[in-house]
Amino acid sequence: MLHGSDDEDDAGPSVESADPEERIQARRLRIQKRIEQQKREAMGEDAVAKKETSDEMGKGKQQVEESRNRLQKLKSDGMELVTNVRVACDAREMQHRLQDAESKHTRIERLDAEAKTSSEKFEEISRRWSAAKMKEVPHDLHEMLLEQTKGCDTVIDEKNKLINELQLELKQKDDEYVKDLKKQSEDVDLMIERMEEQVKNLTKSYRDELLQIEESFIEERGQAMENNKNKWEGTMGQRGEREEEYLKSRFKRVDDHELQLDTLRTNDTEEYNMVKIKLETDVQILEQQLQQMKATYQLNQEKLEYNFQVLKKRDEENTITKSQQKRKITRLQDTLNSLRLKLAKQEKHFKEENQNLVDEYKRIADQHKELYKKMRHFSANDWKKFQDIWKMNEDEVRSLVDNVLKADETIHLQQLGLPWNVPDMPFLKSHGPLEVQTSDPRPTATSFAKEILAANEKAQKKSSDDLEVIEKPESRLSLGAVKKLLEVLCDEAGFLVEEKLNKLLQPLQSDERSLIKLDAIFKALNIETEDDVTKLSNFFSQHGKLVSKADATSEEESDNTTEDAEVLRISADAEGSSTSTEPEDFMHPNEILDVLKNFVQEHIKPAKEKPKSSVMDTLSGTANRDPSLDAAHWELMANVIDSNKLKMWDALSNALTKYHNVLTERANRIQETDSLRQQNAELRMLLHQYISSKVNQELEIPPTRILQLEYS
Amino acid sequence: MVVTDLRSNILKASQVPQPTSTDPKAMRRIIAEDPDWSLATVPLLKDLSTNHIVQNFENNPILKGLPPKDKLNVLEKIDTQIPLCVTSHLVDDESYWKRCCKSKWQICDVSTYGGSWKRMFFERHLETLLENFIPEQTNEATIEEAIPLCARYVKRLNIKQLLPPVKDAAKEDTISDLGSDAGSEAPSMDHFEFGTVMEKLPHLEEFRITYGVRDCGMNFEWSLFQFTQRDCLLLAKSIKSCKQLKCICIHKSKVDDSKVRVLVSHFLDHPSLTEVDFSHNCIGDRGARAMAKLINNKCPNLRKVNLCDNVIRGEGAKAIAFALTKNTKLQELNLRLNRMGDEGGQAICKVLLKNNTLKSINLASNDMTEPTAAVLSQVLQTNTGLTSVNLSGNRIGIDGGKQLQEGIESNKTVVELDLRLTEAGQESEYCINQVLRDNQEHAREIQESHTK
Repeated sequence: MLHGSDDEDDAGPSVESADPEERIQARRLRIQKRIEQQKREAMGEDAVAKKETSDEMGKGKQQVEESRNRLQKLKSDGMELVTNVRVACDAREMQHRLQDAESKHTRIERLDAEAKTSSEKFEEISRRWSAAKMKEVPHDLHEMLLEQTKGCDTVIDEKNKLINELQLELKQKDDEYVKDLKKQSEDVDLMIERMEEQVKNLTKSYRDELLQIEESFIEERGQAMENNKNKWEGTMGQRGEREEEYLKSRFKRVDDHELQLDTLRTNDTEEYNMVKIKLETDVQILEQQLQQMKATYQLNQEKLEYNFQVLKKRDEENTITKSQQKRKITRLQDTLNSLRLKLAKQEKHFKEENQNLVDEYKRIADQHKELYKKMRHFSANDWKKFQDIWKMNEDEVRSLVDNVLKADETIHLQQLGLPWNVPDMPFLKSHGPLEVQTSDPRPTATSFAKEILAANEKAQKKSSDDLEVIEKPESRLSLGAVKKLLEVLCDEAGFLVEEKLNKLLQPLQSDERSLIKLDAIFKALNIETEDDVTKLSNFFSQHGKLVSKADATSEEESDNTTEDAEVLRISADAEGSSTSTEPEDFMHPNEILDVLKNFVQEHIKPAKEKPKSSVMDTLSGTANRDPSLDAAHWELMANVIDSNKLKMWDALSNALTKYHNVLTERANRIQETDSLRQQNAELRMLLHQYISSKVNQELEIPPTRILQLEYS
Repeated sequence: MVVTDLRSNILKASQVPQPTSTDPKAMRRIIAEDPDWSLATVPLLKDLSTNHIVQNFENNPILKGLPPKDKLNVLEKIDTQIPLCVTSHLVDDESYWKRCCKSKWQICDVSTYGGSWKRMFFERHLETLLENFIPEQTNEATIEEAIPLCARYVKRLNIKQLLPPVKDAAKEDTISDLGSDAGSEAPSMDHFEFGTVMEKLPHLEEFRITYGVRDCGMNFEWSLFQFTQRDCLLLAKSIKSCKQLKCICIHKSKVDDSKVRVLVSHFLDHPSLTEVDFSHNCIGDRGARAMAKLINNKCPNLRKVNLCDNVIRGEGAKAIAFALTKNTKLQELNLRLNRMGDEGGQAICKVLLKNNTLKSINLASNDMTEPTAAVLSQVLQTNTGLTSVNLSGNRIGIDGGKQLQEGIESNKTVVELDLRLTEAGQESEYCINQVLRDNQEHAREIQESHTK
């Protein structure tokens, strides 16, 4: 309540005033003050929080704090002053109540005591009533009654006395009540008075404090203003000084710059003149150039125009061609599409064809199998036939030989009359076709190599003896070279040997090692037979020498192998040439690989051909047969009669033939005459028939007439 | 317009010069000193119509359809004496109700009515009706008529007196000083029944009542201050049915133990009751026990209990103290001017060692002495919830003051400790005041930091 009134009464001009101006002013002031107060509170509290730490409290804030404290104190004091009345009243009331309680207590005691005494007295009286009844003497009774009345009176008196006392007390209480009422109203008045006083005091103090706060704020503001002004002036002074300095330096700089500018200007004018002259000449030159350029430009322009025209034309043409091309493209697209269709068709077609072909192939394969079977069958048959024929022929020949021998014997014995010796003819004892050698006449490449490696002079001879006759010269020729070659090969072509093998070989001796290595290498190179080895060595030797010796090499290649029949014939010549190719100097190891490559390339073909022939061999049992021996065999048979005998025979035959001829001529002539005689007889018969036949009469012109005509 | 008016004026002046000469004002064409003087004498139709509305407002209240400016105009002009049945629900404008209040009462503090003049008007209107109601004499219809008009705006009823029924008006009016016996003999002294009224007030939150006559002065008579059993029962029932009531105050009504018990039994488990005030009655220990039951968490929202100026002794204080051990809601307890003595004071203070929710306690004028102060000093050392303690009027003596001084030195929360008329010794009082001032500063700072 106090606070509320404070706010109301802060302002100087009263709100309740009769003057409206004053009221407005009062309201304004009130609003302003409220705002200020709010601000002050906010700021002041802020400041309290802040400046307690910084210890530099603004004067206004300080004043606010002080005022607040003072007002707080004032308020609490006022509150206390006002409430003091109530407290005092309370205390008094309490005392009063305590007294009341006490007095009540005493009163009750008194009442109790009185009631007791009175009841005692009453009992006494009532007791005496019974005694009174006993009394028969009226006087006594009267006395008694008097006494009784006396006693009653005393009791009543006492009661009345008490009642009076109580009534007195009541009156006293009433008085007290009145007093209390008065006191209370006094208290209330006092309280109101104090309140009003407080309100007044507080408003006054609030106003004072407000004024003080304002003053302090103004003072603070003034101080702050002064401080700021001082600062401002100081900084302004500094600024002025600095500006002066700056101006001075500026003037100085300006002077310097002017001087520099002058010098620069003079220099520049000179330079300018120079440059001007130069530039003028330049301009002239450039003008000339410009003229030239213009001319060329014009020329170029014309040219370009012409070009432009041409290009335009071309462009037109291009557009035309483009359109054409486009059309073409479309056309081609169409064709492409059609072709695609065709292609698809074709593909389909070819697929079908392929399928057909596959079918056919299968059929053919089947046929081939069939054929193969047939062939085997036939070959067996052939073999049998061959044997039969052979036997037959042999028998025939043998019979012929026998005949011949017999003829010879007869000739010798009968015609010539010479003794006849039976010639030695072992072949006649044999029967059937010549036995084919079952063991391969050619040793394997490895064994050959082994031999070579192991060979010395003696071994060489031995081996050559073992070998067949035809091989002898060949092996003799190249043995040394071959050995060297193999050694080199062993070293150089080590890559062909498997690594595992190398490891395994290490504990072995060098000879064995090289041998096994060679074995592996030969396997890798597809060299199987001794012939291959020799071929290889020959190949190397060829390359080792020069290409000029091509004849030799070609001969070298050919051995007594069954593969090439032609080579066989030439082999005889090769003996001579190959002897000359024995020189020890061998090809360089580095070249070996190239040579080896070539060899392998060439060697591959025969290797490929081989299986075919082998197949054929297996097919025919005659694979290993040696027809050459057959020829010799047959020749031997044919030559049972030697040339001298033949000559003799020829001469004899000649003579005999001549004799024979004569005889035959005679015989022929006899025969001729016989036949002619017969002919004549026949012809005569025929003629006679024709003439005699009836047909001649039916014909207009019968042949007989013609005959007659002719005869005529 | 102006020209014609001028002319008419001139004409008038010229036509009747003689009569006007008596009034010098009428002779002048321009009256400079009169600010209201205007030549535009023909009023606007709008003004005319508004005036008409104002004049006939009582019979034909037209307000809703008017534009706001005219509405204000009308409201400014209509009479405050227009019957409430016309205006109560129609007019919401505060200025009109302000005028009504001002015309009816001299002192008007609108701040106590939540700033609403209308509320103030209706509350006070209803209060005066109820205060002047004499049972069996006044027509009940007057109140029944008034209630539907007021019901919407009444939040508080502060009934300062209730008149008892009277057999003869003359006796009532001129009560003699000696006729003290007459009142007590009256067969029925029941007062106005609140049941019907309370039911019809949907917004009632605060209810203050005194069963007694105001300003009787020297016309005092016991019969004027009688709170009968029936009154008590009816009031309790009506309060129980009024669920939105927050504050109930029955003071100066001679409420004794049995009545308190009736009232409390009806208050139990009241959902919104926050404040109970039974000050200036004659509640004894039994009544205090009933109150203790109410405090003991039986009333979910109870915050404030006022039992000042009763006759509670040690036993009742013990009961209340026991209730406080269980309670965690109560914030204010006023036991001023009872007779608890040291027994009750110690009991209450010991409870405060455990209870931390109570903020304010008033033990003034309770016939307490030093032992209570000793316990309180312990309380001051440990309790952190207590902010205000009133011990005035208790004779705690110098030793007690010293103990309190010791106790408060380690306390940071207590802001008020009233030690007037306690004979506590100036020195300790001064020291305590120092501590209190520090605590006040501290509390203020905390509050400031909260507001920030």
